[in-house]
Amino acid sequence: MKLKHRIYKLIDISGLQLFDPVARLFFREEPQVQIKRITQFIVIPILAFGLFLLVWQIMAPRHTTKSGEVPKPGRVLDAAKGIWTFHNREKEKSIAFIASSDEANKILDNAKNRLEEIESSLIPAQDETIANLEILEQEWRDKNISPKIKKAANIEYEINSKQNSLKTELEELAGSIKANDKNAKEELVLRLEKLELQKSKWKIELAELKGTISILESKKYPLLERAQRKKDRLEEEKQYLSVYIGILTKNRNSKVEELNKKLVDYSNSFYAAESTKVMSSAKRLVRQKTRIEKTSESQYSAAKTLPYQTLRSLLCVFTGFIIATIFAIPLGILCGLNKTFMCAFTPFIAIFKPVSPIVWLPIGLIVVGGFIPDPENNALLSIINKLPIFSSFDVNPAFLASAITVALCSLWPTLVNTALGVSSIDVDHLNVARVLNLRFRERLISVIIPSALPLIFAGLRISIGVGWMVLIAAELLASSEGIGKFVWDMFNNGSSDSFAQMFVVVFLVGGIGLLLDRIMIVFQRLVSFDETAPSV
Amino acid sequence: MSFLSISDVSVSFGVEDKKVEILNNINLDVAENEFVAIIGFSGSGKSTLISLLAGLQLPSYGEVALEGKPIVQPSPELGIMFQNYSLLPWLSVFENIELAVKKVFPSLTSIQRKTHIGKYIEMVNLTPAIDKKPSELSGGMRQRASLARTLSMEPKILLLDEPLSALDALTRSSIQDEILNIWEKEKRTVVMITNDVDEAVLMADRIVPLTIGPNASFGNDFNIPLKRPRNRTSLNSSPEYKKLKKEITKFMLNMNSENIKLNKKSISLPAVFEKSINEIGQEALIA
Amino acid sequence: MKKNIINKKYKFGLKILSAIALFIIADQPGFSQELDLEKEELKFGFIKLTDCAPIVIAKEKGFFEDEGLQVEVVAQPNWKTLLDNVINGDLDGAHMLSGQPIAATIGFGTKAHIITAFTMDLNGNGITVANSIWDQMKENDPELDKDKPKHPITADSLKPIVQEKLDEGEKLQMGMVFPVSTHNYELRYWLASAGIHPGMYTKTDIGGRTDAEVELSVTPPPMMPATLEAGNIQGYCVGEPWNQQAVAKNIGVPVTTNYDIWKNNPEKVFGVTKEWADENPNTHLAVIKALIRAGQWLDATKKKGIFRRGLDLVNRKEAARILSQPNYVGADYEVIKNSMTGFFYFQKSDKREMPDFNVFYRYYCTYPWYSDGIWFLTQMRRWGQITEAKPAEWYHKTAKEVYRPDIYLKAAKILLDEGKIDKSDIPWGTDGYKPATSEFIDGIPYNGKNPLSYLKSHKIGHKF
Repeated sequence: MKLKHRIYKLIDISGLQLFDPVARLFFREEPQVQIKRITQFIVIPILAFGLFLLVWQIMAPRHTTKSGEVPKPGRVLDAAKGIWTFHNREKEKSIAFIASSDEANKILDNAKNRLEEIESSLIPAQDETIANLEILEQEWRDKNISPKIKKAANIEYEINSKQNSLKTELEELAGSIKANDKNAKEELVLRLEKLELQKSKWKIELAELKGTISILESKKYPLLERAQRKKDRLEEEKQYLSVYIGILTKNRNSKVEELNKKLVDYSNSFYAAESTKVMSSAKRLVRQKTRIEKTSESQYSAAKTLPYQTLRSLLCVFTGFIIATIFAIPLGILCGLNKTFMCAFTPFIAIFKPVSPIVWLPIGLIVVGGFIPDPENNALLSIINKLPIFSSFDVNPAFLASAITVALCSLWPTLVNTALGVSSIDVDHLNVARVLNLRFRERLISVIIPSALPLIFAGLRISIGVGWMVLIAAELLASSEGIGKFVWDMFNNGSSDSFAQMFVVVFLVGGIGLLLDRIMIVFQRLVSFDETAPSV
Repeated sequence: MSFLSISDVSVSFGVEDKKVEILNNINLDVAENEFVAIIGFSGSGKSTLISLLAGLQLPSYGEVALEGKPIVQPSPELGIMFQNYSLLPWLSVFENIELAVKKVFPSLTSIQRKTHIGKYIEMVNLTPAIDKKPSELSGGMRQRASLARTLSMEPKILLLDEPLSALDALTRSSIQDEILNIWEKEKRTVVMITNDVDEAVLMADRIVPLTIGPNASFGNDFNIPLKRPRNRTSLNSSPEYKKLKKEITKFMLNMNSENIKLNKKSISLPAVFEKSINEIGQEALIA
Repeated sequence: MKKNIINKKYKFGLKILSAIALFIIADQPGFSQELDLEKEELKFGFIKLTDCAPIVIAKEKGFFEDEGLQVEVVAQPNWKTLLDNVINGDLDGAHMLSGQPIAATIGFGTKAHIITAFTMDLNGNGITVANSIWDQMKENDPELDKDKPKHPITADSLKPIVQEKLDEGEKLQMGMVFPVSTHNYELRYWLASAGIHPGMYTKTDIGGRTDAEVELSVTPPPMMPATLEAGNIQGYCVGEPWNQQAVAKNIGVPVTTNYDIWKNNPEKVFGVTKEWADENPNTHLAVIKALIRAGQWLDATKKKGIFRRGLDLVNRKEAARILSQPNYVGADYEVIKNSMTGFFYFQKSDKREMPDFNVFYRYYCTYPWYSDGIWFLTQMRRWGQITEAKPAEWYHKTAKEVYRPDIYLKAAKILLDEGKIDKSDIPWGTDGYKPATSEFIDGIPYNGKNPLSYLKSHKIGHKF
């Protein structure tokens, strides 16, 4: 029985109240009520999401613009897989680069076999499939697309010929009008004006027809499209494998071996050297030694992939968030305690709060640039880059500027909430502090801050949400390696996959945002002493 | 010289013609280990009076003194127990008391401190709830915790500000008994503010009525010569007890009807004053 | 980022050492690979355009590795950020617009001394106009109303449209990618050659719109098609794949390429700060070596020296495949392949062979010509970006500060010694000036040795 309550409590504290009815159902506690709750809080949201996917699946192909098509859910999933494959391949390359010769040989065979398979059988087979599909596509086009195009083209032709015939008609008419026939002349002008009006209407119509035709022409046979995508994937893998094999055959170890061999030669010739050449061959020897040292420490410089960028974004948002917190809480406490300070500070809050990250970022870049004129030899940067987590994420000025932008945008909710929490502290609690003759510091630590904590954490929760939202824009502008840069890069690619990749980012960013929020809720619940802490 | 003395004390707010006197020239002497109940209608300035005694507020004129020394600021010696518990909600019962004990007896070792706290928690019968947060306690339990905290500071004087007014009748009587019990065991000077005549008669050695404010002052004392230890059930049948109750109630009612004749809106004022007292308290604290 | 702890004295020593090393290299061919690198791990920036190919290929085909370099290649969001990142040291070097090192060095925009020892490619840009403009151009010049109109197409047929707009109190709007980009100068050249005034830069007008009949504005390359479709601009000049995208999406018609505006014009360069080059002379040499080899690979033909059409370039399909990776250019393979293998769609019905659309090695492409730098300087002066008239010596001096054939030739010499390139690939004996040419759309001859008389020969713009 104790276990049961412990589980309930855990669910409650971890912010996963969603699963509370499941747990209760498991312990057969009012099954009917629990089933109703499960339907309400779990089944219905899942159904709603399913419905959303369905609507998406149906609606996506209907929205076709010149810039492309809204990707279907399946395509988005494909894109996600593609991103993941790319990540894995870069990882494999890094591993290959530092593999020992035994390991390298082992994977080399596999890679060679796979490459052979792709080159000699898979790609030709796919080419054949594509050739067959192209015939089918022609049939499909003849049947489904060409008639429509023809129809549109006919209308276009009709309009054009009508326009021409009207024009010639009027020209003939004009030719037949006698010099003194004023009425006929006026009539002609009227008809000409009418024709011009009609022409401009036709012009719009024609433009629309052209648009329709071009969209129809660019429609692709789905099966063929899929086959071509498959071929593209194979070609990509082939490309990857050839680079991979290149790295394996010439990786760090083999390089070091080669250098070592040469070292032997050099040292032999050094000991055999005559007086005039002693110095130069000694230098050569020393140089070779440092070279070996450097080579044996070198790493493959892999491309930055989305998983890495996501982690770096998280690190950036936490850095910014911590900077914001360091400033916001003390300032908020000061504002809450002292009316004068609050009055002095209010204009700043009012002015700076609504400023967009897009404005803060360049300022942040300039500020960071001022402090860090030479990133290669900067004490602060090298200290940061030696910190445990930061060391694997190459902190640079762009990262700091993004973090500062996040801080500047996200510090306000915490500041305002802290001030509110401190100023609205219960008078009775203050009286307790007075009766106990608590000194300022004691009062702050044992009464004021604890009392304001729930509101402070409510502020922090809003802050981290704002920070996460703002970060993407900041990284995008600062070109700081993170999700924002990924978005911008994919957008710049303008490939047929770009849209789908954006959707992947939408879900990734949303998911992480949700996670951060849940984590903050847990904290908020842990510090709250009244029972009204929010759970949604 | 008496243990606690209030001499010629007036409290007023505002200036010149807008000046409102809350307490007007009041005098009271309390002997050591005496249990005094101050009884008054709501709005008669009771809270102001207890704030004066606790040092949370200073009189406009006159002086409040403990053992001859004027009270100018709050201190643990002046053990005030607030009307609405004033427990810090993020701390458990133990921690709430610990905060006070640490401050008042900084030299205690942690074991001594624990025993000390345990003693007072035991005294108010809260040992089972020692690690609970205030939000997990009933009103009565909270008030007991508050009492334990006040007692644990071993104050020279215990100031009870309508301590039981928010409780239901049953809890109220049980805590009354408890307070009496404790008081009888550990004799101490007590000033209790109340609006309940029964309570006052049951508990106090002396009852001092406060006339209706503004311009409140003390009426004639009533000595309660009932024997101790007092027992609720036996007292209920005691003619002396009944007589005292009747007398005091009558006095209070008279005072009220006179007041209504004199000034019809007097009752509506106090809320404003209470608020301003709080504000003053807060501002003083922040400054 | 590795902290460079070598102090200055030591660096000076190193320089002497490397000079000695070079001396040894010259003496003993066997030593040639062993450039004593100051820095092995490098980070280069690029913009997602197909002409970043040399950097990408040098990485993917292992040419950097061969030099003992580990290079990270990072896409940059725009030219400004790219330049800033090179200046602040976040990047070691980058794919730059030809005008960028010059502008930075003379202090137009961000001031910093940037040098280049390597030209990355020739040609590769196009001018695209919106469909509606194209329809009007056809009305103005019936010769254009064919499936395959005769090239080059001048802006003559655009002039009446511009005039019509002006009469309505409006100005035609066109997009280019950066104030000192080749695109800006090419678009201006094309317009001005037909007597359309593209506007002057002045001390106060840094947007370059004074007296403009057509207003030009900066738009990032990937935004071009969308901005065109939205109607904010009626045409643009940009590199690939953004002209072909307009055709693929049916929103515009490329009317001309910069090959027609100036045959084999220099497009992008590889730029580094002078400070970086001074601190890392051997690394710089190694980088240039790898880039030259990448250019050679990109322009390799089946049989050496035999080149008739784009398809003879054997490695271009593979290059297109590599460039289509999401971390590089990332556009669809099909789109990149067209221009990379020497085809260009002017309309859906008008696909032409343009074997020289992208040149990475032929025609002594990779050599950093002083005359190219001077051409950009003349354009900067012509349009008022350089606000005061300068003497001819200034042009030569500035070009020599930025363009560094000395470094290029040193790297090429090592490659020649290693047997990796042919002697005929590199113009060894040149003084750094290309011969005078009149292969411009308006036929006005250009001789880099005489910038002032070239300035005088144009109708529109500053003449001295």
